[in-house]
Amino acid sequence: MSADPTLVAGGNLGEVVRQIVADVLMVPVARVQPITELVMELGAESIDFLDVVFRLEQALGKKIPLSRWGDFVKERLAGQDLASGITTDIVREFAEHEAAVP
Amino acid sequence: MTERVAVTGAGVVTPIGIGTDEFGRGLREGRSGVRRISAFPCAGFETRIAAEVDDASFDAASFVEPPKMLKLMSRSAVFAVASAAMARRAARLGAGDVDPWRIGVCLGAGGMGVVDLDLLEGQADAVLAAGREQRGTRWDIPAFARAYRAHTNPLSMLRGLPNLAAAHVAIQNDARGPNSTVTTACTAGTQAIGEGLRMIQQGDADVVLAGGADAMINPVGVLGFGMLGTLSRRNDAPARASRPFDKDRDGFVIGEGAGVVVLERERFARARGAPILAELAGYGATCDAYRITDERPDASGAAAAIHRCLDDAQVDVDEVGYVNAHGTGTPMNDLTETRAIKQVFGEEARRIPVSSTKSMIGHLLAAAGAVELVASLLALGGGFLPPTINYETPDPECDLDYVPNEARAARFAAALSSSFGFGGQNACLLIRRW
Repeated sequence: MSADPTLVAGGNLGEVVRQIVADVLMVPVARVQPITELVMELGAESIDFLDVVFRLEQALGKKIPLSRWGDFVKERLAGQDLASGITTDIVREFAEHEAAVP
Repeated sequence: MTERVAVTGAGVVTPIGIGTDEFGRGLREGRSGVRRISAFPCAGFETRIAAEVDDASFDAASFVEPPKMLKLMSRSAVFAVASAAMARRAARLGAGDVDPWRIGVCLGAGGMGVVDLDLLEGQADAVLAAGREQRGTRWDIPAFARAYRAHTNPLSMLRGLPNLAAAHVAIQNDARGPNSTVTTACTAGTQAIGEGLRMIQQGDADVVLAGGADAMINPVGVLGFGMLGTLSRRNDAPARASRPFDKDRDGFVIGEGAGVVVLERERFARARGAPILAELAGYGATCDAYRITDERPDASGAAAAIHRCLDDAQVDVDEVGYVNAHGTGTPMNDLTETRAIKQVFGEEARRIPVSSTKSMIGHLLAAAGAVELVASLLALGGGFLPPTINYETPDPECDLDYVPNEARAARFAAALSSSFGFGGQNACLLIRRW
């Protein structure tokens, strides 16, 4: 597996994440805004996040165990309702987090 | 007297038409859906023909809500969901018209998405990564696993599980009653509708969406059935290759698609003023328990299934006006089936028209029995007999009236639809004018 070169060039991880969310949930990318709630507004369910993490793996060129997504969300949204808390921004933060670790 | 079960709607996806109007027209015209395979490059295959659904005339997305469910659906699951939607619309069964816990689903399913081309390609990539360069050497399974894990979408497994077509139909229809999948291959569609009938008769549901779906026109399906010697190799004349009961028949042609009917308890159907196409009056099932592909030469397994079905419907042989045969076009099936019909119907066998719609649409495998029941319903309601096309040279051992080549007008009160599949699994359904 090797990283997507346009991504490695830097700076557009946010756009990559928007496109991934749009592709996974099969909605126009225009409906995927930073604060869009993926579960409440776009109907995301548990297996959709499997798909998102898989596509992030492809984009970043590295394996991302699913548990890392689960842990990240739990910590990041401590005390909040997961259904309304998981936004496009949360996914982008996770992607940035994963891109930064070796 | 037990309460009757009605068929109130039907929907199909077939190689000669999407929906019962177009399918019915195709049957009347004796249209063939068999062509050279377009789904994948088939040069070098011994069989290069199949009966494919015309994707250009089939808008899958229009039947699925929300659109993202499409990602989880194999080709056959999409066909099933579309057919169920069309059947339900035809039955005028709206969202609030039935208690969700009282509507069940029973579908025949086959090979499913494990052999969809994109999944095969992913597996091929992983196998290559395993570095197995020649036969007889060990392959590096950890390397295979790494490559498979790196490139295979986790959701792809969900396209391959046979029970999930029925799950998708349930989700799209909020059908929370009993949900069953029948996997008796060539017999599955007929058997699923029979089991759906039993669900209602046993009081477990008031409405059942019953039928079958299959989509095996892929390299593994075509090679697999071909290597067993079951497929026609009449590649030079695809539309003439499927020729049940003809002396020069040389095997079946794989088809794809789905058929779903809405079955309803009589009182429920009457109370809501449902349109009633026919009564589903009888179901009979047996197994040859003989060989895996060969049928009992004395046709006793098939004959017994027909007998059971007629007994279940309390119908005498002289009341049957049409038989939609299994009629695959293999040398063996057509002969055995002819024997079975003669055994059961005796003198009446010469009178009763017997036709094989597989001559037009090919063998839809797990969907065959369901689509063929819909063909029988259209014949009953439309007053015509679908033809057995490509009937050019009579076989002395197959000497019944197979409705050769052209549809005929005919009014009749009851029709039998039969399926006799690999594994010796036999099932028959009887429909009757309401």
